[in-house]
Amino acid sequence: MTDTLTQATSREAIIRAQRRKRRLIFTAASLVVFALLVWWILGKMSVKSFWLQALNGLSFGAVLFFLASGFTLIFGLMRITNLAHGGFYLVGGYMGFSVMNWTGNFALAIFGAAMGITVVGLFTERILLRPIRGMEQPEVLLTIGLTFVLGDLSLAVWGGDPTPVPVPAFLQGPLRIGDFAYPRYRLFVLACAIVVALVLFYIERRTRLGAIVRAGVDDRETVAALGINIKAVFTGVFMFGAFLAGFSGVIGGGFLTLLPGQDFEILLFGLVVVILGGLGSLPGAVLGAVLVGLIDSFAKALVPELSFFTLFAPMALILVLRPQGLLGRE
Amino acid sequence: MMKRLSLTNRVKLVLLAAAIGFGVAAPYIFSSFIVGLLSLALIAGLFAMSIDLLAGYAGLVTLGQAGISATASYGVGYMANKVGAGIPAQLLVGIAAGLVASAVFAAMAMRTGGVAFIMITLAQGMIVWGLSIRLYQITGAENGLTGIDRPAFVSEYWQYYYFVLTVVLICSFLLFIAVRSPFGSSIKGIRESESRMRMLGYNPALQKFYVFMVSGFFASVAGILFVYLNEFISPSAAYIAASAIGVLEAILGGIGTLIGPMIGAFIIVYIQNIVSTNLERWPTLMGLIFIVVILFARQGIVGAISSGWRRWLESRGPSGPGTAGRDPSDELALDSS
Repeated sequence: MTDTLTQATSREAIIRAQRRKRRLIFTAASLVVFALLVWWILGKMSVKSFWLQALNGLSFGAVLFFLASGFTLIFGLMRITNLAHGGFYLVGGYMGFSVMNWTGNFALAIFGAAMGITVVGLFTERILLRPIRGMEQPEVLLTIGLTFVLGDLSLAVWGGDPTPVPVPAFLQGPLRIGDFAYPRYRLFVLACAIVVALVLFYIERRTRLGAIVRAGVDDRETVAALGINIKAVFTGVFMFGAFLAGFSGVIGGGFLTLLPGQDFEILLFGLVVVILGGLGSLPGAVLGAVLVGLIDSFAKALVPELSFFTLFAPMALILVLRPQGLLGRE
Repeated sequence: MMKRLSLTNRVKLVLLAAAIGFGVAAPYIFSSFIVGLLSLALIAGLFAMSIDLLAGYAGLVTLGQAGISATASYGVGYMANKVGAGIPAQLLVGIAAGLVASAVFAAMAMRTGGVAFIMITLAQGMIVWGLSIRLYQITGAENGLTGIDRPAFVSEYWQYYYFVLTVVLICSFLLFIAVRSPFGSSIKGIRESESRMRMLGYNPALQKFYVFMVSGFFASVAGILFVYLNEFISPSAAYIAASAIGVLEAILGGIGTLIGPMIGAFIIVYIQNIVSTNLERWPTLMGLIFIVVILFARQGIVGAISSGWRRWLESRGPSGPGTAGRDPSDELALDSS
């Protein structure tokens, strides 16, 4: 009895050690690849334009993080793959554009649009997704249909011209430090991302709400049995994810401009972020967003005609080597 | 002596014969515009069947199939427009391009399933679309590729219609054999229980690779038929909307049946080209059809008819003919996830 027990524990220990070793090798290999890439890039461009591209990539990554964190949160808890997230982004951005034009208040534009998308999220979860709850594939397909409706209706309302969301005067123009100049707005976006990431991590790790959500990810039935209204939690999380998508639409619309068809384009980037980082993982969303942002930015500078393909290669690599994503659980 | 056919099979045969008879007679009845649309619907049906092979039989819903068929179309278009090669070289490069794309995509997606598979295939299709917009040297970007002439012996619209009809019938027959073969059973097994298939000695990832390749082959054939129909190809052929419409057609007609996607394709092509010519908002209409079908009609038209038919047979008596030998897992494939 004790023998089998110790055997079992020792076998587990061996497996765990193996896994740790593999993770170590993987991390070391990734760092080496990363260093080589930086070295190669620095051979192709000046240090100054290197930092410029890096900041461009990080600020784009910031927008992707807002989008992907909501997506991954919804997936992690409810197993719902909300492909309408790109549609939420686009419509949110357009709403922010309209609010900004009426009021001229940027904070109001951001939160007004985000709240608007939250209501769309509530409608989506309660009316459209509730009847097919638990059927994963129909849920995904329904959200694709919803994206077509949202995209086409926003084309009808806001037209097909590229529409930048106007930004307030104090965020316009470059910020100069010595002889280095960089757009203020992109720095503002980066700062926002850091704040939002910290808040999300705090909520997830340190609050009762975060504990409920984390427990719900692992075992929904038990959470419900403990007297927690899991359906209300589901709705809340879905609305919060939609909020983040609307938020990212206004913030992103400030420098990426809004266009018909961008719903699916940004969705593609968001999907690559979560596939790289790992579905359902918040740290994974951060890592994936940083990687995708940087890859996209440097690829556009170095090999512009292949800029989509450069997303494809790392995604293929990850899917072959680590199908659950860099920080995803098996 | 020949075995006497059950009532169900007799009805099926009569309907099939009527459909083929209609197909052969169509150019004598309709205008060139309608015959062109019928060609389009047949090609869309083949495309939807290739999706259904993955979605309905293997339980792997793909949202990137248009990426594969468009790659095949571009292979043909590149050889015709940029190289100026003859028809055999165009066909060869078209099929090869489609198969290479399928192999790469399959290798990426074969270790996943369910929702992850949908996401990965969506990304793959969108990447083909992105490349087709940016690789101007090969694809002509948004202008697309023109001057892709049909082979001389099918240059007239009605000749090409008969050609499409023949190819689609042959492909349907091949698919019909495939899903009833041991291969078909093994991919249905993957859909029902991957772990059990593994216990039986199958390698699910490899099975998924195979079915993806077979599906990719038929999607490539559809892509090649499509490019010769329009004599033109542009990035919108690879866009997510094209893939999603294929999925919609398969579900609307009845997933997990081969005739269903063809019926769905005829309905959607009809709505898109005839009903909505006066309606500016086709994507909205399509999205709404999508939502309504998913919410209320996941069984599809063929699924609803066949379950109604079975109920009618049962009401005629418990030992009514035609009820035996049915595979209940053929329906509701989409619900079992």
